[in-house]
Amino acid sequence: MKEHFEPNLELAENVQTVTELKAQLMRQNEAARGLLQLCRFAVDDAFVDGDYPLKPTDTVAVIPPSSGG
Amino acid sequence: MEHISEKPLDLVGLLAAAHHPQAGALVLFSGEVRDSNLGQPVAYLEYEAHPSMATKMVAEILAEARQKWALNLAVAQHRTGTVAVGESAVVVITASPHRREAYAANRYIIDRLKHEAPIWKCEYFTDGTKKWGGNCNCHETTGNANEHVYEFEQER
Repeated sequence: MKEHFEPNLELAENVQTVTELKAQLMRQNEAARGLLQLCRFAVDDAFVDGDYPLKPTDTVAVIPPSSGG
Repeated sequence: MEHISEKPLDLVGLLAAAHHPQAGALVLFSGEVRDSNLGQPVAYLEYEAHPSMATKMVAEILAEARQKWALNLAVAQHRTGTVAVGESAVVVITASPHRREAYAANRYIIDRLKHEAPIWKCEYFTDGTKKWGGNCNCHETTGNANEHVYEFEQER
């Protein structure tokens, strides 16, 4: 993910949900589309679903598949 | 207990602190960096984590293991940063009155940690190339990033 995007990204566009955020990130970087499909999203250290309503001030963590261990 | 550590894991210190008067069994698992992966020589690994979320998730996994088995102790630590071949990237220690629980819980904890915690590996190979990821490809089988195939469920 860090090869596709800056570590911290501020969106100028207004996105209402996590699904919209994902689509916006895919538009910004086509090469990251496949990886973004696999990512989970989290707000305040908790995973959220695609229909989670985002506030303009929310910080969303984009979590690729784990590879710890 | 710190679950995510930038410093080398102190296996001996953790082990020394893990003895428990009611435990007849203690299992220490250390996930170590191998010098090759899929036939390609590995120089070293680098781990990154979402520290606050990984810390919270490891704590939850340990709490769930304590719910499932009667454990005297359950601890886990994962490295971040550069980890050399032969060093420990992750340690899980479980202790219980008898060995069955300690083994089962240890395996449960390491499997869930590997698949679920927001920790990422980048392999650096001796030829100068590198590769992110590689452990959890469960979505290829399950079709869902939140559904995993765990070793502890595969073998008995």
